[in-house]
Amino acid sequence: MSDSVSVTIDGRSVTVPAGTSLWDAARELGIDIPVLCHSPRMRPVGVCRMCVVDTGARNLQAACVRPCEEGMEVRTDSDRVVRNRRMLLELLMADYPDPSAREASTGDDELLALARAYGVTSSRFEGSRTPEAPRRDASSPVIAVDHQACILCDRCIRGCNELQHNHVMTRSGKGATTRIAFDLDVPMGESTCVSCGECQAVCPTGALTNRALEGLHLVEEETP
Amino acid sequence: MELLNRLMALQHRHGALTDESLNALAREWRLPLHRLQGLRSFYPAFRSEPGAPRKLSVCRDVACRMRAGPRFADEVAEALQGVGGVEVEAVSCLGLCHAAPAALAGELPVSGGAGMLRDGMAGDRPLPLVAEPPAETSAVDPYAGADQRFGTLERALSEGSPEAVIETLEASGLRGMGGAGFPTGRKWRFTRAAGGTPRTVVCNADESEPGTFKDRLLLERVPHLIIEAMVLGGWVIGASRGIIYLRHEYEPARRALEEAVERARERGVLGDSVLGSGFAFDLEIFVSPGGYIMGEETALLEGLEDKRGEPRNKPPFPTQVGYDGGPTLMNNVETFALIPRILQDGVEGWQARGREGFSGVKFLSVSGDVAAPGVYCVPAGMPITEVIERAGGMAGGRALYAFSPGGASTPFLPADRAGTPVDFDALARAGSGLGSGALFVVGQGRDLLDLAIQQVRFFSRESCGKCVPCRTGSAQAVRKLEAAQEGRPEAGLTRLLEELDETLAQTSICGLGQVALAPVMSLLRHFPDEAARLRAEEA
Ligand SMILES: Cc1cc2nc3c(=O)[nH]c(=O)nc-3n(C[C@H](O)[C@H](O)[C@H](O)COP(=O)(O)O)c2cc1C
Ligand code: SF4
Ligand code: FES
Repeated sequence: MSDSVSVTIDGRSVTVPAGTSLWDAARELGIDIPVLCHSPRMRPVGVCRMCVVDTGARNLQAACVRPCEEGMEVRTDSDRVVRNRRMLLELLMADYPDPSAREASTGDDELLALARAYGVTSSRFEGSRTPEAPRRDASSPVIAVDHQACILCDRCIRGCNELQHNHVMTRSGKGATTRIAFDLDVPMGESTCVSCGECQAVCPTGALTNRALEGLHLVEEETP
Repeated sequence: MELLNRLMALQHRHGALTDESLNALAREWRLPLHRLQGLRSFYPAFRSEPGAPRKLSVCRDVACRMRAGPRFADEVAEALQGVGGVEVEAVSCLGLCHAAPAALAGELPVSGGAGMLRDGMAGDRPLPLVAEPPAETSAVDPYAGADQRFGTLERALSEGSPEAVIETLEASGLRGMGGAGFPTGRKWRFTRAAGGTPRTVVCNADESEPGTFKDRLLLERVPHLIIEAMVLGGWVIGASRGIIYLRHEYEPARRALEEAVERARERGVLGDSVLGSGFAFDLEIFVSPGGYIMGEETALLEGLEDKRGEPRNKPPFPTQVGYDGGPTLMNNVETFALIPRILQDGVEGWQARGREGFSGVKFLSVSGDVAAPGVYCVPAGMPITEVIERAGGMAGGRALYAFSPGGASTPFLPADRAGTPVDFDALARAGSGLGSGALFVVGQGRDLLDLAIQQVRFFSRESCGKCVPCRTGSAQAVRKLEAAQEGRPEAGLTRLLEELDETLAQTSICGLGQVALAPVMSLLRHFPDEAARLRAEEA
């Protein structure tokens, strides 16, 4: 068994250690595959499906969790890839609150940035969240929770449990009613949360934001 | 298994997993609370507050819906208003499709109209217990009497070799009967060749695909065949542990299995030295805390590992990285149950059981508009029309309008394709599939659009919620389809459905999301009248 594999991504070859994900291999080539759930600091979970690429298989493969295989030929931006990413964004944007608390504060809303990049300005779907549970949780003095903006990328959960080892957060419920939750599904401010801030730092959307910055509109920095 | 078993026991004892009991368990087992919340909120068997002392779970899926109408569960609930201590709940297919409309009173299978169910629950009349369907399960039992059982295993252990077993399975052409149709011999070969520990054999007895009830009857009637094939599987892949993952609504099957496992243990078929061979193997039964998704093989493994049953990204496949990180041989109940017969028959004998060019036999769960719904063991290659005849022909004088040959995930086909033989490839070429072998028969005059939308609703309700396309896309599709059904199809709906279907099929993690729209897409392809109801007037 060989310890390294060679793959071709968008026509360029790269050799990587066996077990490397397509996403990491593409990055070595300087090819940026869009992500929402993935972060290089975290164990990949492959849930948002934004990073899908065409490997010639029957269906598209999520690059963040797909190990490279010897001789694989991958396209990261074919028509098929792009139109399916666009549909995923359209589905996510249907439920997304406007304005975004993250865009309004730190200005780094990753979902909005991707929607703009893919030209998804409107959605043919209506918001589908069942208002079973309260939309907002303002019980924590430090972090604001807006379930409506949550795309269930699991970044906060991994940040809390696996990076910080605070073990407070989970997915709760199932299917369309799944939400993020704290301990036995208590308000964040009543949970064992230690307000480390990891969850709101890694959140790609307006679901978890820093309350100190609430309502604060950052002036865009000049980039040279 | 340990944690979920404990939670099931707590749920049974207290009727709920209350915050109080979970706080105590978290302290006792030193577990974070979020872990327990994740499990409690994921599995349908768990609830956070106790309900009424008795529960009536009414099926809402296609076979029952077609007989009793879309409002049946509501009607039953209305009829039972004022009967104290009973809670009515609408649930997904219970595998009692032959007795449609069906329900579970506690763990007792019952069948009948709202009035009968009311009287039974109120104690005014006996509960209308489900009658056993025709079931040709003994057709694959190679043993004439109980004392001959396990003879195939005994012969393999004494004079055969694992390699020979694999070769026979490969040559027999046997494919997985759980739905995906993966070649069984190849799966056994891959698992045997995979390195690592622990090594485990798992029987997938989570049967929950609407219309499918063959596994239930096999488990109840020929459990010894399943046990025998699992031990054999253990011997072939070098595993000493077997787990049967059983749907929790299948209480009679659990009892039959436990008894069969006990008898196998007494006979030395399970234990430290299987039939004196020196090879050790034992079996346990794990009762699922519920949900269709648990039948997906990697969700099932997550469940066995005491996690939320969310399917894994693949590869790696369970044959390489399965239960607890080791190679796992997982097969469906029927797949296992056929193996003793195949090894007894030999390749040629097995092939000869099929019609020309097709090999072996196949169990079909036949439901819907047939006179005698039940489990039929038919030669591979038998045309669907003949299967319908075997099941008593069409019921109520209806002509055949449509059929779905293999469960909710296999597209509906029109009557003119009913000449297609029972075979994975032939049905795929005809535009559908053999799936789990659940032949659902729809007669003229039925509302096929309503039934197809119910199948999509089933998938949406049973979505685990892990990945974006299935979690959001299936629910969005249901809402748009419901609006169309009410006579308000939006402009461009069929195009939007085509696009959504592509994204579900292309980007979903598992088979559930991948096929979630298939029932409705098949109407667009093959049924112009139903398709027209999804198109807005093009003015
Ligand atoms: C959503 C979903 C549900 C499934 N449910 C079942 C099931 O209840 N029983 C089963 O045997 N296989 C089920 N399968 C198929 C299994 O993933 C797996 O392919 C099968 O157990 C392998 O055994 P086989 O090769 O003998 O069919 C399901 C698959 C999916 C995607
Ligand atoms: S396709 Fe659906 S059921 Fe399968 S993993 Fe994704 S959300 Fe879960
Ligand atoms: S980034 Fe790969 S699935 Fe989300």
